[in-house]
Amino acid sequence: MSGDIKDFIITQFLPDIDPAELSDDYDLVENGVVDSLGLLRVVAWVSETHGLSLDDIPIAPDNFRSVEAIRRFVAEARVSAGLH
Amino acid sequence: MPSQSFLGSFAESAEEHPDRCALALDDRQVTYRELQDAASWFRTGTALPGLPAGRPVCVPAVKTPETLALLLAALADRRQILLPSPELGEEVLLRLCRQASCSAVLLAGRDADGRPSLTVRAVEAVPEEAEGFRLPGPDEAQLMLTTSGSTGTPKIVPILAEAADRFMEWGAGQFGLRPGKRVLSYAPLNFDLSLLDVWAALRAGAEVVLVDQERATDAAYLAGLLERYPVHLVQAVPLFYRLLLDGGPSGARRFPDVGHVVFTGDAMPYDLLRRLPDAFPGACLHNVFGCTETNDSFRHEVDPAAVAPGEVLPVGRPLPGVEAVVTGSDGAVLEGPCTGELLVSTPFQTSGYLETRRNADVFVRLPGDASGRVYYRTGDIVTRRADGLYLLEGRSDFHVKVRGVRVNLQEIEQVLRDHPEVGDAAVVALPDEVAGVRLHAQVQRLPGSGLRSLALRTHCSRHLPRPAVPASLVVADDPLPRMPTGKPDRNLIRKNRMEKEPA
Repeated sequence: MSGDIKDFIITQFLPDIDPAELSDDYDLVENGVVDSLGLLRVVAWVSETHGLSLDDIPIAPDNFRSVEAIRRFVAEARVSAGLH
Repeated sequence: MPSQSFLGSFAESAEEHPDRCALALDDRQVTYRELQDAASWFRTGTALPGLPAGRPVCVPAVKTPETLALLLAALADRRQILLPSPELGEEVLLRLCRQASCSAVLLAGRDADGRPSLTVRAVEAVPEEAEGFRLPGPDEAQLMLTTSGSTGTPKIVPILAEAADRFMEWGAGQFGLRPGKRVLSYAPLNFDLSLLDVWAALRAGAEVVLVDQERATDAAYLAGLLERYPVHLVQAVPLFYRLLLDGGPSGARRFPDVGHVVFTGDAMPYDLLRRLPDAFPGACLHNVFGCTETNDSFRHEVDPAAVAPGEVLPVGRPLPGVEAVVTGSDGAVLEGPCTGELLVSTPFQTSGYLETRRNADVFVRLPGDASGRVYYRTGDIVTRRADGLYLLEGRSDFHVKVRGVRVNLQEIEQVLRDHPEVGDAAVVALPDEVAGVRLHAQVQRLPGSGLRSLALRTHCSRHLPRPAVPASLVVADDPLPRMPTGKPDRNLIRKNRMEKEPA
């Protein structure tokens, strides 16, 4: 699953880099990879890929700050949505 | 907050209708009395009175009722206030503080019981860094904003008290602000736009609905806010209207209570413009043009039915009291219909940047003009039509607007070149369907360097504000394509990138 998120970020926002370069804790917000509009794309993707309702995903930058943070957020959101 | 007369009007409102709402933020509504009380607490119950008189304070512009109360308190204490973006990096923030001789950075917050709190961080004075920066007297200007420039340090712009009063007076009259009216505050609090949608509104006894900056691109949140708090005036960049009309789960929306829709900061796309009358059936549409240095200078009332597809929307005509001239490439003032650089002189303008050496070329007098009026060179290229309407054509330099923030492409290129492993760099602006413009950087690394785009991106975000960090960065060993003159061929770079990654 984590590969998914990373692939998505790289394809969408960093098409010019080698996947090995992007560490899981790289700050995507601070470094301008994902801006506030990009955030909406990430949220839409998370909703679609993980069967979460858009209304249940708060657009808080902290949840989407790094590959690791997105991964954690998705896992928790899936548990609270009863999806596992 | 920008003047003592503002404080007088605010106090009158607080006395006449203490229980009217002054600020709304999500579920929270703060009345005029509560805002006044919070301001009094900051004046007496905190470390604020102990700060040295005669040195400004720095208040990062976090848009909350507490920050606004703190600003009211500092104003009442006749302190000068530097109000920078809350998103600035530590280094830049402190540099600005030292330039303006600020004694402390003040952060207003709320404790666990919902009471206001104040964090004070002292700033050490470094006289060498304040050299060349001239503070106006506190009677002349209390508020200092910064430009949204793209280099490390934004320019500090003092807002003259009299100029702010004239602007708030104009805004209240133009848009019918008065008690019982609600205004949406979409722009960050440190933008000059807040002089209208926050300060002119509070001065007029109106209610301000604060948009949480963290959620400013969350379409569902924005629509929900407008449904909950029907507002009379909306002022925002075109992106806001795009989000409101296109974004979010439930699609099309109507906002019949809005009486005035103002768009500013960026060109309004035709497809979006023609949908505004349906979304805002009761609203008058205004295209407004201005900048931090002069505040608003032009206004154009737009009838979307009369605009042809692809037509550039005029910025309109100068506001009352505004003088506008167009100069040719030799600097001579042009008459009649023409195209050239726009110079404006507004009743709302600053006395000049705090850093005095920046002023000579930008704040100028016209040759042979006996009035002594000072004009601001906007750097914008405009066309004046025979009917007197002005159209914006572009910039005379390398400035572009990224989501309402003015960035300088050459300054970004310089930041890239400052990286020890970069040989050369070119930054271009590409059209983007949603954002309007996005930045692309093409970089040549030095021979033998293993520099990658991610490391360079980290370098950029350390030295540039976020909107100026290029959305895409390509690092290669190949030299940049060049024109016969030796300059990077930016058109070719732009074309190649757009073919690779269409907007």
